[in-house]
Amino acid sequence: MIEFLGHFHPLLVHLPIGILLIALLLQWLSRIKKYEVLQQAVPVILLTGAIMGLFSCITGYLLSITDDYNENIASWHMWMGIATTLAAFVLYAKEKNNRFKVNKPVLSVALLILIALTGHLGGSLTHGSDYLSRPFTNIFNDTAESMIIKPIANVQEAQVYADVIQPIFQTKCYSCHGPNKQKGKLRMDDSLRLIKGGKDGIVIEPGNADESELIKRMLLPDYDDDHMPPKEKPQPTKEQFALIHWWIANGASFDKKVNQLPQDDKIKPVLIALQNVSPEIKVTSDLPSSPVEPADANAIAQLKAKNILVLPVALNSNYITVSFINDTTVDNNDLQQITNFSKQLVSLKLSGTNINDEGLKTIAQCTNLIKLFLDGTPVTDKGLKNLTALTNLRYLNLVNTKVSAQGISELKALPKLQSIYLYKTLIAKQDWPGLQQAFPKTQLDSGGYIVPTLVTDTTTVKAKVQY
Amino acid sequence: MTQKELHNQRLLREAERSVLQMHTRRHFIKESAMGLGGLALAALFGCGKNNASSQIAFDPAHPLAPKLPPFPGKAKSVIYLHMAGAPSQLELFDYKPELMKMDGQLCPQSLLEGKRFAFIRGVPKMLGPQAKFAQHGESGAWVSENMPHLASIVDEVSFLKAVSTDQFNHAPAQLLVHTGSPRLGRPSIGSWVTYGLGTENENLPGFVVLTSGGRNPDAGKSVWGSGFLPSVYQGVQCRSEGAPVLFLNDPDGMSRDLRKASIDAINQVNAEEYKAYKDPEILSRISQYEMAYKMQISVPEVMNINDEPQYIHDMYGTKPGHACFANNVLLARKLVEKGVRFVQLFDWGWDSHGTDASLAIDVGFINKCRQVDKCITALILDLKQRGLLEETLVVWGGEFGRTPMMENREGKQNPFKGRDHHTEAFTIWMAGAGIKKGGSYGETDEIGYSAISGKVDTFDIQATILNQLGFDHEQFTYDFQGRPFRLTDTKGKVINEILA
Repeated sequence: MIEFLGHFHPLLVHLPIGILLIALLLQWLSRIKKYEVLQQAVPVILLTGAIMGLFSCITGYLLSITDDYNENIASWHMWMGIATTLAAFVLYAKEKNNRFKVNKPVLSVALLILIALTGHLGGSLTHGSDYLSRPFTNIFNDTAESMIIKPIANVQEAQVYADVIQPIFQTKCYSCHGPNKQKGKLRMDDSLRLIKGGKDGIVIEPGNADESELIKRMLLPDYDDDHMPPKEKPQPTKEQFALIHWWIANGASFDKKVNQLPQDDKIKPVLIALQNVSPEIKVTSDLPSSPVEPADANAIAQLKAKNILVLPVALNSNYITVSFINDTTVDNNDLQQITNFSKQLVSLKLSGTNINDEGLKTIAQCTNLIKLFLDGTPVTDKGLKNLTALTNLRYLNLVNTKVSAQGISELKALPKLQSIYLYKTLIAKQDWPGLQQAFPKTQLDSGGYIVPTLVTDTTTVKAKVQY
Repeated sequence: MTQKELHNQRLLREAERSVLQMHTRRHFIKESAMGLGGLALAALFGCGKNNASSQIAFDPAHPLAPKLPPFPGKAKSVIYLHMAGAPSQLELFDYKPELMKMDGQLCPQSLLEGKRFAFIRGVPKMLGPQAKFAQHGESGAWVSENMPHLASIVDEVSFLKAVSTDQFNHAPAQLLVHTGSPRLGRPSIGSWVTYGLGTENENLPGFVVLTSGGRNPDAGKSVWGSGFLPSVYQGVQCRSEGAPVLFLNDPDGMSRDLRKASIDAINQVNAEEYKAYKDPEILSRISQYEMAYKMQISVPEVMNINDEPQYIHDMYGTKPGHACFANNVLLARKLVEKGVRFVQLFDWGWDSHGTDASLAIDVGFINKCRQVDKCITALILDLKQRGLLEETLVVWGGEFGRTPMMENREGKQNPFKGRDHHTEAFTIWMAGAGIKKGGSYGETDEIGYSAISGKVDTFDIQATILNQLGFDHEQFTYDFQGRPFRLTDTKGKVINEILA
């Protein structure tokens, strides 16, 4: 019964608004001589408006105790509504009995402001507090969703909850279970309250997605009253459902990164799709799959001060590339600094520098190295022995160095080596077949390609027949 | 001026003054109210601020400092070989034996209905392939006898055989390929890339343009312009002989020390100016002066091909001292080796209409092929043996293709065999930096007129280039005139089929 009466509030509220506004209009018009006669109608209209305001207050209170609204706005709305009604009664009294000690113009302006404020707060309660300003804040975005869901540069490094799950909740759940409303006493924008659940108990059982109320309700057929989100509201996509399911199944953590959760083949494409707006793009990274902590900032700063390029491989990545392209003198100190972030270092370009066999010993500590450029350096076979520690190495450039087949064959043990560039080295012609055999999986590039000069390269054709 | 005029003038001034005196502070505030209110409203609703602002910060003091791509890319550098004028795909890579059977016949009406051509009028005759084709390499790619060297390295490249464009005139089509718009004003792809990634070698420009014999393409310098991006990112046009960059040398009588002293002085004045006004453009100017000073040494060094050993010259077929495409190709390799981000080469003379011998498909076109075949092949192999092909993306192509019909300019037979501009299908190839080796994507119909599968357009190629460099072309934007712009505008799809 209470709920039934409460539901009359949205209907009733519009009556006092309209009636009181008419009363104010007539009151102000009657100050003009031509319309003086209207004054007589003002008290009765004010009284009607005030009584309607009273009914609105009562039904409004009933509605507020049966449904869950943002408490803060709801209480402001309530007190403003009561104030409006009171002001209307006082103004009526003043109209009837002029001895009543209030300033009529001030009171009527106050009433107008109260009506506007109460109405606005009421609107904020039903439509959300950003309802009015939304068309303006959205000029550059087609939908509200595109504003909230930002593409993730590197999904493996992203926060599971903050970057992946929360944006889904934000677009699909918060309008009823957020700061403005807490239907079923469930509020999802706050992780603690989300865990606590709603009036029917907890909604998330970490590690057990299928038993979680949140998942169960999403899976109910859409004609079911308990189906969430309600069928008239925007529904999550299959992928979004899969992500939420995966998140809960893996412990519903609020502070882990994506790569800290196990990923099966089903969830992987969904995750990658988040990374790129066009899901068809291939991820072309060769980087190790395990995450890594940020590199030693001090060491990086020291190298940068010496004009050495130290750059992460991409935004949001802790893996580092180092290049000596602007400074070709490498000293021991530089190498020591590099070993300070040996875990993060994946590419090291020493082309044309003075790095020698001794220096390679230090470099051998950077076991995550994938690409190593030693072209045009004084390294020899002796130094190559040290490189056997670089088990992740895939690319090795030894062009224009004094290495021979003997030194190269030491690198056989490197499991991931894909290509070695050996143009202008000391490898004798007869050693090549043996080397190729020793490296069945690695592409050894001998270089020295010749593009023969054909007769046609130096001659031109002349026109033969003219039409 | 007469007494009367002077008097009138004085009166007028007095009248103006009295009007101004009437204009009180109250007037001012009253008149401002609406404007200020509007500003306040705009601020409240968050207008003017763009929520989706681009991630790339423009640092005016170090505009070319290396920056990070959003995801790790395969390519570090790009060499774009543009054959301006548009080479015929039907005499190079798109083998159409069926077209041979139609040689000399009148073109079927179905191919002409609703189509517009640059020069063909009325009903033209069909023109069969004017070159012998053979399959090459393990991939079995078809290459004509016009490019015997390239045929030997088809297993290094991926062909896109059904590229299309929507511009059939040279200038707009070239602009479309390089700036993503057929009209002037957009930044070129090299500018986008240097804006997004900066460049690793602090002594060299990030974006270098080399044109054969210094002849600019039809679209002019806009194909390497910076458009609305900061002008630092426009292509630096270098010459292979004489002063590599014009106006970079010290004038006669100015010693290097004097130049250094004057640049220091200018920079000091600019630094004072910056302290006073804090305009970031001043920092940009300071860094440009310093860069120009460094380039005076480093550019002539890298642009000098005479230091290269003889076998390299033999490999490329270069002619030191002459302006030729081969020299530029060798320079491109040297520049990329030194860490230059984007090298754009333009060659000219590929517009094989058949209006004279040099533009005949069976004369001039063959000679053009001979000029570029050897050096481009050498470039791929040289990059490969230096271990650079893995991180250098090489793109070869024109701005459109050529018709399977023989051109009949204004309805009359041309003096030589030639083909008109064709937008619906042509061939572009790419190599290196994560591009599939020995790949091919797209197919044309049996006479090479239009695409029947794997159709891509110029935006897709731009999207793929950006992808290999580590950018999502849809996210790579620059805010201009109140909206984010991107190279591929509203189009473009990465061509996954040719990615390794």
